[in-house]
Amino acid sequence: MDFRWRRWNNLLHRDIGYISVAMVLVYGISGLAVNHIADWNPNYTHIKNIVHAEPFSGKTKSEIIAEAKLKLNLQSDPQNYFRADSSTAQLFFEQKTYSIDLPTGTVLIESTPARRVLFEMNQLHLNAAKGLWTYVADFFAVSLIFMGISGMFMIKGTNGLSGRGKWFVAAGTLIPLSYWLFTLYF
Amino acid sequence: MKTRLVAIIVVLLLVVLSVQSSPKKKFGKELTLKEKTKISDVIANPEKFNGKRIQIEGPIVGVCEKRGCWIKVGGEKEGESLRFKVEDGVIVFPMEIKGKTVVAEGVVNVTTYSKEDLIKAGEHEAKEQGKTFDSTSVTGPKIVLQINGEGAVVGK
Repeated sequence: MDFRWRRWNNLLHRDIGYISVAMVLVYGISGLAVNHIADWNPNYTHIKNIVHAEPFSGKTKSEIIAEAKLKLNLQSDPQNYFRADSSTAQLFFEQKTYSIDLPTGTVLIESTPARRVLFEMNQLHLNAAKGLWTYVADFFAVSLIFMGISGMFMIKGTNGLSGRGKWFVAAGTLIPLSYWLFTLYF
Repeated sequence: MKTRLVAIIVVLLLVVLSVQSSPKKKFGKELTLKEKTKISDVIANPEKFNGKRIQIEGPIVGVCEKRGCWIKVGGEKEGESLRFKVEDGVIVFPMEIKGKTVVAEGVVNVTTYSKEDLIKAGEHEAKEQGKTFDSTSVTGPKIVLQINGEGAVVGK
């Protein structure tokens, strides 16, 4: 009887483990990336370039856009236009922003391309997609809980839970427990 | 057995691809209001709109780069914009939407910070960043106006 439940326990632990490999990598790598969000941007790189054109003389939106197209060799009209202040006009293109200092003609060109792969991993990890992905993430969370619990019962004997295993489990439990106690009393 | 495994992998890939390729134009709750409020009207008279649910429209002139937790919507007048703040993680705005036009709905929130609050916050921030803070740079109370965002639709 003992043999049968342990066999199923180990079999499910193994196969759910195989299925979860990619998800563990996604969540683990993304976890490392977003843990240090205070020090870097895990999703985007911010590229800034400054170019110098002749000072702009246009006053209206259409005049400034026409002048910008000519001076900056822009092929199309911007998606949007915004007058940030009396001397700055912003032209928005697909994933590119031109901030023009009209009196001097200094143009700041900014773009923020995504860090491919890492961006997608973070989107999945932080459930930005919502909807269907919520259920996939729920399934993965339940899988992790199962693997954590089933992992304790995979082997018997001195290396099992009743042997040295219980000390490792206790040590691992102390990590969140000590943090919780620390935040509670300090 | 192999056929089943391949089928499982294909289904999982399709699920992932359907999530990835789904249009991300709608964010958060559905828009419900029929009329739009001018950003310039809100900025001109914030107390009138404080606590009220409004709908605004304008170009997205800024996006929170790190968490996607706010966008700045440009107003009709020069230099005017409103911050549309959403709950962290509930709505995540991608950088790709910068420059596009948004119709956004939420509740106007006006907060007044006293001079003491601003000095305290400045000192705390400076301490966190290992910088020095000059308290004389704070000259008086400050009114912060933003929309607590609930839903947005980003167009072209």
